[in-house]
Amino acid sequence: MAALPEEPAEVVAVKPDPDAGTPPQQPPPPAWGRPRAARPRAGQPTGAESGERCQSGGCFPQTCAPSPLMAAQDAEGFLCVLHLSRGRVSHCAFASSFRLAYKLLLYGNTFAVGGGVVVEDQPDVSAVLSAYNQQGDPTLYEEYYSGLKHFIECSLDCHRAELSQLFYPLFVHMYLELVYNQHESEAKSFFERFHGDQECYYQDDLRVLSSLTKKEHMKGNETMLDFRTSKFVLRISRDSYQLLKRHLQEKQNNQIWNIVQEHLYIDIFDGMPRSKQQIDAMVGSLAGEAKREANKAKVFFGLLKEPEFDVPLDDEDDEGENEEGKPKKKKPKKDSVGSKSKKQDPNAPPQNRIPLPELKDSDKLDKIMNVKEAARRVRLGPDCLPSICFYTFLNAYQGLTAVDITDDSSMIVGGFADSTVRVWSVTPKKLRSVKTAADLSLIDKESDDVLERIMDEKTASELKILYGHSGPVYGTSFSPDRNYLLSCSEDGTVRLWSLQTFTCLVGYKGHNYPVWDTQFSPYGYYFVSGGHDRVARLWATDHYQPLRIFAGHLADVTCTRFHPNSNYIATGSADRTVRLWDVLNGNCVRIFTGHKGPIHSLAFSPNGRFLATGATDGRVLLWDIGHGLMVGELKGHTDTIYALRFSRDGEILASGSMDNTVRLWDAVKAFEDLETDDFTTATGHINLPENSQDLLLGTYMTKSTPVVHLHFTRRNLLLAAGAYSSQ
Amino acid sequence: MAPGGSAHVNAEWEKGMVPFRAFPGWRFHCQSLNLILKKAVWWYVTTILEDAKIYSSHAKKSSVDADDVRLAIQCRTDQSFTSPPPRDFLLDIARQKNQTPLPLIKPYSGPRLPPDRYCLTAPNYRLKSLQKKVSSSAGRITVPRLSVGAVSSRPSTPTLGTPSAQTVSVSTKVGTPVSLTGQRFTVQIPSSQATVKSATPTTPTVQNVLINPSLIGPKNILITTNMVSSQNTSSESNPLKRKHEDDDDYDNL
Repeated sequence: MAALPEEPAEVVAVKPDPDAGTPPQQPPPPAWGRPRAARPRAGQPTGAESGERCQSGGCFPQTCAPSPLMAAQDAEGFLCVLHLSRGRVSHCAFASSFRLAYKLLLYGNTFAVGGGVVVEDQPDVSAVLSAYNQQGDPTLYEEYYSGLKHFIECSLDCHRAELSQLFYPLFVHMYLELVYNQHESEAKSFFERFHGDQECYYQDDLRVLSSLTKKEHMKGNETMLDFRTSKFVLRISRDSYQLLKRHLQEKQNNQIWNIVQEHLYIDIFDGMPRSKQQIDAMVGSLAGEAKREANKAKVFFGLLKEPEFDVPLDDEDDEGENEEGKPKKKKPKKDSVGSKSKKQDPNAPPQNRIPLPELKDSDKLDKIMNVKEAARRVRLGPDCLPSICFYTFLNAYQGLTAVDITDDSSMIVGGFADSTVRVWSVTPKKLRSVKTAADLSLIDKESDDVLERIMDEKTASELKILYGHSGPVYGTSFSPDRNYLLSCSEDGTVRLWSLQTFTCLVGYKGHNYPVWDTQFSPYGYYFVSGGHDRVARLWATDHYQPLRIFAGHLADVTCTRFHPNSNYIATGSADRTVRLWDVLNGNCVRIFTGHKGPIHSLAFSPNGRFLATGATDGRVLLWDIGHGLMVGELKGHTDTIYALRFSRDGEILASGSMDNTVRLWDAVKAFEDLETDDFTTATGHINLPENSQDLLLGTYMTKSTPVVHLHFTRRNLLLAAGAYSSQ
Repeated sequence: MAPGGSAHVNAEWEKGMVPFRAFPGWRFHCQSLNLILKKAVWWYVTTILEDAKIYSSHAKKSSVDADDVRLAIQCRTDQSFTSPPPRDFLLDIARQKNQTPLPLIKPYSGPRLPPDRYCLTAPNYRLKSLQKKVSSSAGRITVPRLSVGAVSSRPSTPTLGTPSAQTVSVSTKVGTPVSLTGQRFTVQIPSSQATVKSATPTTPTVQNVLINPSLIGPKNILITTNMVSSQNTSSESNPLKRKHEDDDDYDNL
């Protein structure tokens, strides 16, 4: 099964209407015989009410501006960094969102070829765009659109919400057709007239669209090309679809029907039409929603079995944890985690599904330590909230772009915009590098503390600075065994650093564009990176080329995370979808739509069943991986969520955001009583309860320090990190 | 004013950033973005106009006209402002890449790193040689004149070798990438350089070794090289040069 079956639409070469250029003497009679005055759509009140409705719908109020700023200006030849804004430039406080702003400024997906220079197309681009050839009289486009609008407004309530989904894709495609065929004035007036009717969560895209006024603008814009080639997916119930089809086919000029057939994919389901609220929860991505069969593949979301080994008791163990050992006779305590169930979990992947590195002795020691710490772990819950320890980076001058903390919370690394990577020791134990080769030959290799002796005390310091990148460092990740550190940067490389010598070992070059995020696999050896070139790559530390390429997103891949069983990778993207990829064969097994802004944080629950995602729209969405459904929506944050983390046993979900707060949510309650009856799983519709307030356990504010990273220690203490910004 | 501006802005533009034409009405809410925007715009326009001037003078025209500007823009666009590959291309290479099964992981292989030439662990410094012994076999002696003035002390260890099983002095508990053998490093001498037979292996005569500044850590490591004739260095067994039993090449991945 390929990633997503993408067949480029048939190229229909239609001869341009020779009369297209000249305005007709007398406008042809309107197709629907009614006055074309724009009426406010019922169910979509304009003005102030839309602001409120949008708020309840969860989108950010600022995006409900009545007219995009660009539309009012003369857009002749001005394509600015706005194109880069998949966030909200007008709201963007540069200080607080350095990473986003850097992206805005430097990496857009379009550029202006000023002065009317026509760059020679590659043949595929022109083929792709030529399907926008003239198919009707440009001056009639407004008629067609308003006619459809009228029809939908007059339809029954239950159908109206579903049919309203058509407005946005139709609007965009019709506008692009006008632009492509160089009817600038018609395009402009078409835009002016109808852009205000669109949903508020599309306003950002519309702003970008408004500055696309010439054919040349479209050529370099990868996202526009992708939007055009991939069909926009709409899910409509059979009744509504029949209604629409009947209406469109009985009209004489079925221009809209042509567009629907060419550019939209209508996923028909049998059942009740969806309500506006249900639809609003799921739409928002650049490609519409996800087709039902895209989420039907089986996903092994269970955890891999931990190997059993004996946990030796030593004198430090409190007698409280040790039920069976008596002070005189110390029996080694069996690791109870692995031996819980002898039967194979049906949802867990086979152990050898993907090759994983075997456990070294040091890993076994680490696991033993983990078990010991787990025994002392605080059990969290609504009545027992974690303590939060916040690490503030001072004097970072808005340069902190990435943070990571080791699993045992001993080291913290910061990636900075000045291309340095700085490692600090969190514990009093300092960072030391290994001795020189000459000195190493002198030590006694058989001594018990040889691991201490190989360290050179003269190099001990709390901070180590790693130089090597030539651009801001956007992602960092420690390896589980704490020997290696990964960092990815705007220079397109991912670097592997040794934490024994604090030098750079490898530079992995594959992305030739900024790499926004990278992460080591929970078992080490593999790592994933995602970048501006819209793909995520899976690497192994001993291969200089990627092992897997996960292609399918329509815009930059901004966030990449491994599933706890290391068999799946979740990627969040600027096209507002989250995809789950299978490491074994590179297939996309899940597509989750619903966010209204680029996704910046992902977190898998420790049991592997659920995924939490956070985006610039300030909502945290919860997804059931097995069924492929959205199961929860947590509203409360007012700005981009850059950090999400589940507690060690999955009881609490912590989210940190640009609005300088850390919020704790009750994960246990959020995931209980899931409606997983057949109807829900078949159609993928779920009625989300409005229980964000009930699930919110606490809001903790920092003093103007946006939260960039969250980490639960092995004992369930919450560590948070961010850079103090004085604005 | 030469398009010097701010070095920072220039460097970014060299990397191929978004070009745009200034729009007078646009303002960001934050000062620093405004400033960057203004600088970038000014730098872009200046670059284009300078290029156009060059083109027009090459065409022996008296003044710069629109065609020159258009040509300048086009050249700049082709060279600097590239965009990521199109989606179908990405899907294609993804399909190709994802067909090969995941490679098995060799057990007990120490630090799992790519072959040496894909790593950044090789020495790239060269010290000025102190001894000028003439080798009988070599025809010409070119004593490298490259002196690393900045480094007064000895360079740090560059070669990281996977110690073979018998030379590992520390148990495999520690997965350190640094060779722990106390032997002298034997540095491969490229055959283009002349060699000097060193009579005294103990003196730190280093030759033809390049410096990698990023590897100069706080502690510098002595490198002693045994001078060997360079003619057949390819098969020189360097116990510290990490070898992969299989091919060094992953080109046919």
